Amino acid sequence: MEPIRILLVDDEEDFRQTVAKRLAKRGMHVRQASNGENCLSMLEKEPVDIVVLDVKMPGMDGIEALRHIKERHPRTQVIMLTGHACAQDGVEGIKRGAFDYLSKPIELEHLLTKINQAYDKIIREEEKEREAAFRASMEQQMIATERLASLGTLAAGVAHEINNPLAIIKESAGWILSILHKDELKDMPRRSDLELGLSKIQKGVERIRRITLQLLESVKQTDSLVSEVNPEELARETVDLVCKDASAKDVRIMIDSRPDVKRIWTDPYKLRQVLINLLTNAVYAAGPGGTVAVMIRPTNEGALITVQDTGQGIPRENLARIFEPFFSTKPPGEGTGLGLFVTRGIIEKLGGAINVKSEFGKGSAFEIRLPLHPEMEDMPDASDNPGAWLVNVEG
Amino acid sequence: MIKIPTRVLLVDDEKDFVEMLSLRLQDAGEKVTPAYSGKECLDTLKQIPIDVVILDIKMPGMDGIETLREIKKRFPLVEVIMLTGHGSTETAVEGMKLGAFDYLMKPAEFDDLTAKLQAARKRKDEQEERIRKAEATLLVRKAGGIA
Ligand SMILES: Nc1ncnc2c1ncn2[C@@H]1O[C@H](COP(=O)(O)OP(=O)(O)O)[C@@H](O)[C@H]1O
Ligand SMILES: [Mg+2]
Ligand SMILES: [Mg+2]
Repeated sequence: MEPIRILLVDDEEDFRQTVAKRLAKRGMHVRQASNGENCLSMLEKEPVDIVVLDVKMPGMDGIEALRHIKERHPRTQVIMLTGHACAQDGVEGIKRGAFDYLSKPIELEHLLTKINQAYDKIIREEEKEREAAFRASMEQQMIATERLASLGTLAAGVAHEINNPLAIIKESAGWILSILHKDELKDMPRRSDLELGLSKIQKGVERIRRITLQLLESVKQTDSLVSEVNPEELARETVDLVCKDASAKDVRIMIDSRPDVKRIWTDPYKLRQVLINLLTNAVYAAGPGGTVAVMIRPTNEGALITVQDTGQGIPRENLARIFEPFFSTKPPGEGTGLGLFVTRGIIEKLGGAINVKSEFGKGSAFEIRLPLHPEMEDMPDASDNPGAWLVNVEG
Repeated sequence: MIKIPTRVLLVDDEKDFVEMLSLRLQDAGEKVTPAYSGKECLDTLKQIPIDVVILDIKMPGMDGIETLREIKKRFPLVEVIMLTGHGSTETAVEGMKLGAFDYLMKPAEFDDLTAKLQAARKRKDEQEERIRKAEATLLVRKAGGIA
């Protein structure tokens, strides 16, 4: 345990020295000040836990010093020392926030007891503060969780309602196109204009369809098909899938694994989807001439897979938002903003965690940590463990 | 080669969808009968011969899964392709377990649909062919028994 830090303030030099010496003998870390002004400037330089403060001092008196201490160092506890038969000063001190008072002449044992009590109070208050901070962050996470959950339900409904009229548009456009291709219309004037218009409709339909499919994918509650997976093999397979697209964009993808990487129990289909999402983003971010590295490492709990790119990085203000559904900085048609949203959902279902580190201008690294076993029985349940929903976003 | 039309029963509560898809399928040489509910589907099956039912999963009243159950109970040789507007493949998988031939996600590619239609039709033909053969064998055996 850290020694208790004390500042002893009294204008009587002999008294001060004696008390200080005896407190130091009991393992405390004691400093001394001979008046109120001195006390405040010392506190400014180095905080203490407890101030033992004489009331009667020339210049700034104890009560005045107490006011300043409580204002500038609210965590510091103050024990007042009052003159004999001046208990009124002590009561005044307590009213102004002192922990307690002792009348001179003091018993060292009394002072020690008071110091220990004051120190206990400090510890209790620190705990309370920590708890309050924890609760506040918990509440924030709950709000985020609930928001995402209701977004999910809404999204599924919207996607479904859109797919039906979309199917009508698609069939109608297809129908018109098939008529235009008939022999009887071979010499129809401005046929190519109509075809151009139809092809735009079809492209638009495709775009909407991609979005609704991804949306539905994001809220789907399919059972995981868990099997034993070699993370390195899975990463290689997935890189093979995207490497054609990458080399077309002049991006190099490297895999860096280690022989001691352990097999893990997970859903290979879902994990592959996660890697595809991360790799697609990384290839896009890296751009022509850039590099993407996939690193696989064993951890105590399972495996760590990192997808790192040499792209432009993610601006700070975006870091907290990239996992939100529909957040995308890509031009229309190129991004849906659902990739990372889906990715996070999957990783959490698999009992893992996703982390992003990014330096603006230098690149980004997405880290996924997966357990050896997905622990099906305590899958993240929003009410039990709201923290499991949230992602650590590091700067 | 002359194409023998597949007799399709298209079931969906979305009238515009049924109308457009019917036109396209007819244009592709199939014979299409529309139905707009599960009940209408079953009534139609009672009245006219059908090879393949294209069946929407989500319909008001009797939904696609219920309708599928009835179809398989009462017209086991008829093949069913499920259409789902919902990403939930679970219902589709449930449909397959109940005997559906396959499923498609709405909006579907027309080429995918016609390919599945042909495959379903083929399975039905083969099944009927096996039944015919089995019946023939049965007849021959009976005849042999008498002789
Ligand atoms: N590797 C990366 N480098 C830089 N930005 C990224 C990277 N991955 C994701 N992002 C940012 O996060 C946003 C959301 O990503 P995502 O959910 O996959 O949607 P989309 O790729 O469709 O835009 C992207 O638009 C981009 O701004
Ligand atoms: Mg993406
Ligand atoms: Mg419907």
